[in-house]
Amino acid sequence: MSDKTQTGYAAGSAADWSNLWQSMAESSSRMVEAWSGSIAPFMMSRVSEKTTGEVNDLSAAIERMAQGPQLADVWDFDRKLALAFGAWIDLRARLASYNAVASAPWTEASRQFLEAMSKSKTESLGWRDMFAKWAEISNQELIKNQRTDAFLKAQKELLQAALQYRSRQNDVSDAISALFDLPTRRDLDEVTRQLTELRREVRALRRETAQSKGQP
Amino acid sequence: MSEQENQAARLAREIAANTEKVFKATQLIANTRDEEVKVGTTPKHLVMRRDKVELFRYEPLAQQTVSTPVLVAYGLVGRYTMADLQPDRSLVRSLLNKGLDLWLIDWGQPGRNERWLTIDDYVDDYIDAAVDRIRRETGHDRVTLLGICEGGVFTVCYAALHPEKVKNLVITITPIDFHADVNDKAAHHGFINLWTRSLDPADIDKLVETYGVLPGEFMSSVFSMMTPMRSLTKYNFDLIDVVDDEDKFMNFLRMEKWLADRPHHPGEAAKQWLKELYQDNRLIDGTFELSGRRVDLKSITAPVLNVFALDDHIIPPDCSRALGGKIGSSDYTEIPLPGGHVGLFVSSKSQGKLSQNIADWLVARE
Repeated sequence: MSDKTQTGYAAGSAADWSNLWQSMAESSSRMVEAWSGSIAPFMMSRVSEKTTGEVNDLSAAIERMAQGPQLADVWDFDRKLALAFGAWIDLRARLASYNAVASAPWTEASRQFLEAMSKSKTESLGWRDMFAKWAEISNQELIKNQRTDAFLKAQKELLQAALQYRSRQNDVSDAISALFDLPTRRDLDEVTRQLTELRREVRALRRETAQSKGQP
Repeated sequence: MSEQENQAARLAREIAANTEKVFKATQLIANTRDEEVKVGTTPKHLVMRRDKVELFRYEPLAQQTVSTPVLVAYGLVGRYTMADLQPDRSLVRSLLNKGLDLWLIDWGQPGRNERWLTIDDYVDDYIDAAVDRIRRETGHDRVTLLGICEGGVFTVCYAALHPEKVKNLVITITPIDFHADVNDKAAHHGFINLWTRSLDPADIDKLVETYGVLPGEFMSSVFSMMTPMRSLTKYNFDLIDVVDDEDKFMNFLRMEKWLADRPHHPGEAAKQWLKELYQDNRLIDGTFELSGRRVDLKSITAPVLNVFALDDHIIPPDCSRALGGKIGSSDYTEIPLPGGHVGLFVSSKSQGKLSQNIADWLVARE
C-alpha cells in the first residue's frame, strides 16, 4: 500500500470515526432528553414503591405464618427457614427502593453535563477534559442526593432489612450447629463475654495489689 | 483534514494510547507481588503484648531532641500504617528524624472474640498499661500522647482521666463535637455524622448483635460512598494515570494495601462510638463515662496541640476545633492544615508540615 493510499485510508477512517462519534453523541443526547422529559423517572419510583408494597405483603404473610405459636416437636426449623426467606424477600424490595433513590441523580447529572457541553467549545476539549467535567457534575449530584431525607430513609431501611436477613440466617446456622452438637455462634459469644469479664476482674485485682505495694 | 476529521483522529489516537495504558496497568499488577508492596516499614521492636494489643518502640533515627517519650495511638477504624505508609511519606519516620522517642500502640486485628471490649478497656486498660510500661522503661513520670482520629478521642479521654501521667497531648484529625458537622457548608463533609444520626440506636445494637463487630468491610463501603465518583474511577481512569510512573503506581498500591487492611471494630466499643458519641454527643457535653467515671474535658491540664485538616470530609474541621475553650489547660494550640483526612498524613504536599509543627511544639515544651 502506498503512502498516499495509507493517508487516504486514514482520512477516510477518521471521517468514519467522526461520523460515528457524532451520531453516538446525538443519540445519547436524544436518549437523555427523552428520559428526563418523559415520565420514566416517575415510573421508576412508582415501580419501586409497587414492588415494595407487593413484596411486603408476601413477607408479612410469611412473617404471620412463622410467628405463630411454637410447637414442641415439629415445625421449628421450617419456621426459621421461612423467616429467613421472608427476610430475603423484604431485603430485595428494600434494595430496589434504595437503587431507585440512589440512581436518581444520574438523570440530573446527564442534563447538566449536556448543558455544560453545549455552552463550551467542545472541539477544544479532549475526552479526559469532558470526562473530568462529567465526573465533577456527577459527584456533586450524587453527594447532594446522599443528604436527602429520601436517601437517608431508603438507606436506613436497607440496612435494617439486611441485618434482619443476616440475623435470621444466623438463627438457621445456629439450629444446624445445635443439630450436630457443635457450639453455636451464641455459645462462643457467651464464652468470650465471660472471658472478657474475667480478664477485667483479674486486671483490676492486679492493679489494686500493685497500688497497695506502691508500684505504678 | 477538516476540523471534524482532526477531532476524530485525535480521539482515535487517545483511545489507542489509553488502551495501551490499560494493558500496561494489567501487566504491572500481574507482575507485582503483594510482598513487594510494603507499608509500615520503619524499624521498631515489640516491647509488650496484651491480648491482641502490642506496644512497639521505634528505633531512633537521629540525635534525641525531646526526651519525653511519645506514644502514638491510632483509632480502631483503620490501621496505624497510615502514619507510616512509605519511607518518604511517613509521619513516624519524620518525627524520628527530628529526634523524638516514639512508641506505638497497635490494636491488631480485633474480631468477634473482641466483641465485648469497650472504649473503657482501650483507655483504662490498654493505653494505661502501655503508658505504665513506657514510664518504667524510660524512667519518665509522664508521657506525651499523640492520638490520631478515634485514637485522638481515646487519648483525650485518657488525658482527662489520668492527667498525672500525661505531659503533653497532641491530637490529629480528632472529633470532639460530633454534631458540629451541621455548621460545615461543604456538602461532601460529615456523611458519617449525618448517616449515623439517621439511624435508630436499636439499628446499631442490631448491627453489633448480628455481626459481633462493626465489620471492616461495612466501614470500607461507607467510606467509598462518601467519595462516589472517586470510588467509581479509582481502578480505571485513576489507575491509567499512574502506570507510566513507577513511584506513583507503587504509591497507589500502598494506599490500596492500607485500605484493604481495615480491621473490624470491637462491637461494644462500636456501640459507644456510634451511639454515645456520634448520636448523643456525650464527650462535648460532659456526660461520657468510662469505667464509671465521667470524662470531664476540664480535667485535661496538660498542654494540648490540636491539628486538623481543612478539607477533612470524614472529621469536619469544626468537629475538631470544638476542643478549644473546653479543656482545663491554658496552653492550647490549634493548627489547621490544608488537605484531607488521609492526605494530611500521606500526600506529598503535606509531607514535613505536620511533623515539623508537632516537633517544634514539643521541643518548646521540653
